[in-house]
Amino acid sequence: MDSSLDLSRWREAPRGVAYRRWCIVATGLRQLLRTRYFKFLLSVAWSGGLMIAVAGFAFSQSLASGGWLENFAVRLGPRAEAVFTVITGLVAMFPDVVVHGVFTLIFWAHSFLGLWLSLLALTVLVPQLITRDRGSNALIVYLARPLTSTDYLLGKLGIIVGVLVLVWTGPMLCGWLLSMLFATDRDFIVYSFSPLLRALLFNGIALVALAAIALGVSALGRKTQVATIVWIGLWLVLGGMAAPPLAPDWIKRASFTRDLYEVRQEVFRLDTALSDAAAQLPLLDQRFVTNLAAAGKKAEPTDFNGALAGLGIFVVASSFVFFRKLRPE
Amino acid sequence: MSPANLSRRTAENFIIEAVGLGKTYGTLRALADVSVRVPPGTIGLLGPNGAGKSTFLKCLLNLETPTTGSAKVLGVDIRARNRASREKVGYSPEQDCHIAGMAGCEYVTYCGQLSGMPFRQARQRTHEILDLVGMGQERYRLVDTYSTGMKQRVKLAQALVHDPEIVFLDEPTNGLDPSGREHILQLIGSLWKDLGISVVMCSHLLRDIERVCDRVMIIGHGRLLEHDSILALKSRHRRIVEIAPASETERFQTVLTSAGLTVVKLSNGKLRVESASDSIEWVLELMRAHGLPPAEIVSNPDALHELFIKSISADHG
Repeated sequence: MDSSLDLSRWREAPRGVAYRRWCIVATGLRQLLRTRYFKFLLSVAWSGGLMIAVAGFAFSQSLASGGWLENFAVRLGPRAEAVFTVITGLVAMFPDVVVHGVFTLIFWAHSFLGLWLSLLALTVLVPQLITRDRGSNALIVYLARPLTSTDYLLGKLGIIVGVLVLVWTGPMLCGWLLSMLFATDRDFIVYSFSPLLRALLFNGIALVALAAIALGVSALGRKTQVATIVWIGLWLVLGGMAAPPLAPDWIKRASFTRDLYEVRQEVFRLDTALSDAAAQLPLLDQRFVTNLAAAGKKAEPTDFNGALAGLGIFVVASSFVFFRKLRPE
Repeated sequence: MSPANLSRRTAENFIIEAVGLGKTYGTLRALADVSVRVPPGTIGLLGPNGAGKSTFLKCLLNLETPTTGSAKVLGVDIRARNRASREKVGYSPEQDCHIAGMAGCEYVTYCGQLSGMPFRQARQRTHEILDLVGMGQERYRLVDTYSTGMKQRVKLAQALVHDPEIVFLDEPTNGLDPSGREHILQLIGSLWKDLGISVVMCSHLLRDIERVCDRVMIIGHGRLLEHDSILALKSRHRRIVEIAPASETERFQTVLTSAGLTVVKLSNGKLRVESASDSIEWVLELMRAHGLPPAEIVSNPDALHELFIKSISADHG
């Protein structure tokens, strides 16, 4: 045993726990970003963000006299020009109703895309979060280091947050910022801010619910196939069972996607935006007014408290699972 | 440079201090009232299956919460300062464990970062350590595709990447081929000698422990049965010398018998005699005086084995 080791020494003070948690997040995201599937989801998500920017920008150009939108309408003919003039007038006279309503509609529509992409991303992520670590005994690798199970969980939670920010919050915020960058009037910023906050609130609620459910499902077993099947079962099978209008309330509440749909309707208050438009805007076409009011009625939340309770049960049950299973085997 | 110069710890600064450490699983007592103070060095942890060796290590790492007692690792209380107690500790568990979906060097670098190393230093140390454990280009392959031996090497690498002051190795030579085992044992032996990194090595292979370690702890039924330096333990034991003559075995036997020794001829042709001291000088003297041919002489060949059996039997008794 006369070998002498040629090895550099590392005698610096180790970096703090925040750095170590960040390493878990960054490494998890890096691993995910390597996959083609996730790259595809990202391209769709950021295309959605770009569409928000384009829609917001085009809408804000309605107030620009002599702008490209006006010129475009003139080129299309007198009918298009008349429609453009009406829109311009409505935006100028009722910015609180029109700008607020249009951005509520934009963010409401985008929340479908964001949630759907998040669910698709989590389908790939869930088996990789905790299941794979349990399957390969990697928990010991983490917990034998200066990390606790809470640090580990926070790291994994950070990966979910990162994914949702990349496919949902990020594109939405960037889309809004881009559209506001070229807005012709500060009313666009002022009256689109409330819909943006509502969109962020829904984003936050969905994040908490999805993160807890994803961690719970991921901690459930040691086999990645099991985690994928349970996740798809909870998402698609229960979602499908809850979809028929006459499905019993308890089945509807047992589907987290249905619960999130109800929460979305309550948070965005699209019904109020549409009803306000029908009631306050001086629209001459009575059929359009009736349709607006009917759409508003249809967009009303029907079982918000039940949905919230359903999501609460999901979060508590999932937390119970991942806290119980998070011991090295 | 001697380990004492390299290590910041001296013999008075115990690397492990346990007081009444115990762990029960329901009615099963896995660890019972273990009190021990271990000085720096290379320490072997011996015991039969299910004796509580791994539980002892897991309690020290807080992977299992001790039911009773307290412990300090490198002077840091494991309960009061949970994270800090593992900052300068490395652990290579017995079972297969890795983070799936990562290449070997990426995995070890990540482990370094999880211990608080900046990326660049972690990457540099990773390559040095992987060289040291004998991993070549395989380091760029996914850990999931490694053979048992390679997984064992990468486990050792992740335990050493952050330059710990103490490293717990649970059966570190399992699954290694003879040359790999030799390489890893040499490396483990050098950790304390060259780098001042204390090693606590858990193994069933007494010869490995005897070869690498300078101290031994024997655990049986969750209790600490013995803890002392190997030299001290051997001196407590009856001294045996085994002689394997190159030729003239019969003459060897006659000379030894005429010197008043009880000689046992083993089935492998070796001669076993009981010695009055640890030194083999007297055998050499006899050989010189009687012009005997050269022979391989091994002092206390199975002392640790016998001591182990004795301790375990006494515990059963």
